[in-house]
Amino acid sequence: MKRLSTLAVGLLLSTGVLAGAADNVSVQDAYVRLAPPNAPATGAFMVIRNNGDKDVKVVRADNPVSKATELHTHLNEGGVMKMRPVPAIEIKAKGEAVLRPGGLHVMMIDLKAAMKEGDSVPITLTFDDGSSKQVDARVVKATAAPAPTEHRQH
Amino acid sequence: MSDRILSLVVGVLAALVLGLALFWQPELPERPLPRAAVPEGGEFTLQSADGPVSLRDFRGKVVLLYFGYTYCPDICPTSLAATAEGLKQLTPDELARVAVILVSIDPKRDTPARLQEYARFFHPAIVGVTGTPEEIAAVTKRYGVFYAEQKVATAGDGYVVDHSADTYVVAADGKLAGRIAHATAPDQVAAIIRKYLYPP
Repeated sequence: MKRLSTLAVGLLLSTGVLAGAADNVSVQDAYVRLAPPNAPATGAFMVIRNNGDKDVKVVRADNPVSKATELHTHLNEGGVMKMRPVPAIEIKAKGEAVLRPGGLHVMMIDLKAAMKEGDSVPITLTFDDGSSKQVDARVVKATAAPAPTEHRQH
Repeated sequence: MSDRILSLVVGVLAALVLGLALFWQPELPERPLPRAAVPEGGEFTLQSADGPVSLRDFRGKVVLLYFGYTYCPDICPTSLAATAEGLKQLTPDELARVAVILVSIDPKRDTPARLQEYARFFHPAIVGVTGTPEEIAAVTKRYGVFYAEQKVATAGDGYVVDHSADTYVVAADGKLAGRIAHATAPDQVAAIIRKYLYPP
């Protein structure tokens, strides 16, 4: 009995440790932009909210439909758009990170197969404490994709 | 040699900063070009999947020029989707007086067929054209378009192309008239097109 309760406590503790940052994070409006024909890459966009009291960082993203997945941003330098990888996407405590076209995004590079509208892509976000969260992102055609920030007031 | 490149880079940066300081108008999605800064624009002939396309083929129409490439991961789809949505807001009569040309700034990888399929995904009215690297360099220079290959380890064939993301507006008389800033909303795109369709 005593061993059982130790086990139970141990399990509780371990799930607590495993959950970590991922537990305090919620993701909204996740979508993957349908890649145009011949485009070898596309972006995934979402709003990542940190409901916790500590800043968290997304340090990696993975998905099964592209050979590589990277975290990217865009720099707009005098009308010239430059896409660059970023090592992490930080989400401040009680804050949010908005991933949207022209800004931060999850880049899906070298798509293994063509996708179609309505498909769902599981994207796994890994945080700086090692915890992770899976997000199901729907594939939408760019024209129908709302920029998640447009109606938000900060 | 590297000194020359460096001074070139410095020159370009200085011009950018100066240009920004003088002409940066963030509240306007359309950037009216100050007279002195208007690139000459002008005639060109490039290859589409259906044969050669010249700017003069569209005389009498308002022509939108976008400089992009099919490997473009995010910026081109964003721009072209907004343009396509803007076109959909026009009446059929208005649409008949508008042409959209996607000019590849990645002539090494983009073929006319590849561009056609890519462009049509956004809107059937968009024509994709490319040419030799020299032809593309000449056209972009005359339109004041910047582009530069940039190594990114895992992107497609190993590079992305930084590029000017504005859409260039050529009026019915063939003259470069203005630019539409990247990520301008579709209704504003339609409004700007109409402005050139119905000149005062």
